[in-house]
Amino acid sequence: MIIKMDRVKEYEALVNIYEKEGLDISLFGDRIAAIIISGDKIVGLNNVEGVEIVGEEIENGVKASVKIRDNVELPFPIHLCTGFLKNEGYQRVIFDITVGKNSKVKFLSHCIFPYAKDFTHDAYARITIGEGSAVIYEDEHVHGEGVKMRSKTEVKVGKKGRYTGKFSLTKYRAKELKVEMSVELDDYAVTELVSKIKAVKDDSVEVKEVAYLNGRSSRANLKTTVIAFDNARANVVNEAYGLGEYAKGHVECHEIVKGNADVQTVPLLRVRNDKAELTHEASIGRINEAQLMQLMAKGLTEDEAAGLIIRGLLRGF
Amino acid sequence: MLCLRNITYEDKNRRIIENVNMTFREGITYSILGPNGAGKSTLAHIIMGVKKPTEGKVLLDERDITELSITERAKLGITLLWQEPARYEGITVEEYLTLGGKLNVSESELRRVFEIVGLPYELYCHRFVDKSLSGGERKRIELASVLLLKPKYAILDEPDSGLDITASDLIDRTLKYLGKIGTTVILITHYEKIAKKTEFSYFVCGGKVVRKGFSEEVVEYYKRACGKCPFLEGMSDDH
Repeated sequence: MIIKMDRVKEYEALVNIYEKEGLDISLFGDRIAAIIISGDKIVGLNNVEGVEIVGEEIENGVKASVKIRDNVELPFPIHLCTGFLKNEGYQRVIFDITVGKNSKVKFLSHCIFPYAKDFTHDAYARITIGEGSAVIYEDEHVHGEGVKMRSKTEVKVGKKGRYTGKFSLTKYRAKELKVEMSVELDDYAVTELVSKIKAVKDDSVEVKEVAYLNGRSSRANLKTTVIAFDNARANVVNEAYGLGEYAKGHVECHEIVKGNADVQTVPLLRVRNDKAELTHEASIGRINEAQLMQLMAKGLTEDEAAGLIIRGLLRGF
Repeated sequence: MLCLRNITYEDKNRRIIENVNMTFREGITYSILGPNGAGKSTLAHIIMGVKKPTEGKVLLDERDITELSITERAKLGITLLWQEPARYEGITVEEYLTLGGKLNVSESELRRVFEIVGLPYELYCHRFVDKSLSGGERKRIELASVLLLKPKYAILDEPDSGLDITASDLIDRTLKYLGKIGTTVILITHYEKIAKKTEFSYFVCGGKVVRKGFSEEVVEYYKRACGKCPFLEGMSDDH
């Protein structure tokens, strides 16, 4: 790992937070391709065989390109760490990720803002996946009480490619969260997008997941789970467009409300090919009564049963 | 002793259960036998507190528990094996069986009940209790959960439904284990072969108790009665 001398302290501070939060510190090891960002600085960068990460410091943030060659199968994930260790401020990060043909990689993206009180984070990622490649992109967060986060990811999946996007914000405040993910699928390409979010107090959550099933026999499965407590607000939009022959898509949204929370879900399915097939499933409201009663019949109170069910629903990936 | 006294249950002005009386004594195995739509599961739900009777009382050791919640009844030692167990996303089998760590269970106890329900412990304890399990696997896990609770009264609502040909042996092992720990079993079924595994039976039809007594005798009556059931006459199609 290349660490600039004047940035060692920031690097170490991030490692300490990983340790404190129970995150995997081996991700900072030399065998892991990684870019470690703190505020508007690159504090660590490491490349491994088959992976080329190039970072550039820009106003209020960092822009990075990640290139993975053809036929690369990495035994370890690529670590994208975005940190901001002050209370207030603004940060933007831009990732341009290109994966060659027949490669298999996993990204672990960590957003580490533990002290944020009034902080805005803008993230934009463009991911292009070559023919026959498989990419998993997992997003995890450590947030302070006051994070305003806007995240947009645009993915293009080539023929027979596969993209799995997992977004999870369940242990910390969402505060003001806007997540947009869209995936365009070529022939026989597959995507699965899964988001799990907990909103409490006056948090505001907006999630939009879109799949364009352009290719023949392309497949998409979009799944969102939001648990909203107190006075939180959540709006989930799942869209799927069936354009290719024999394309199949499924969108699923489950929102559970406790207290005065205000939630809505909007599934939008549009088919422009008579051989395409799209389905949706949505539930909104309180916890499933049968699930509750069956746990209560084992001696749990309603609150205990609800707690166990919610814990399961929000479990990480 | 668990008793149903003059229980009547109506749903949307339709009488599902009519003036039913039943008594379940400690450590004895009972079956509630009857055709589909007889009201058997409704009786199970009334005992568990899922449904409140329109009339009548549920008594446990002479205490009126009719108004008690499901949780309160469970704490008094009553539990129910549901006909269709729910699925829980993100909860492992082990977490489910230990109720998220609330139930203190040793690994050897877990292994024991896995053996009884016919599932390999290593293969299942870390799996999720979600859609990835088949109906039969889910049913076996639910049965394991009932066994771990060591209830005073276990209501088993069609324990064989969704199971393969080994279901009969599974029920034998379950009854043997529950008998050993002194649990009163109330087994709900429409199969005479399953009912015969219990000591006493109530034959229910049209929401009423038609016959009660030793299982052998009640089953014989059931076999004779079904086909020329007096309750079928004049009843709706969903009877």
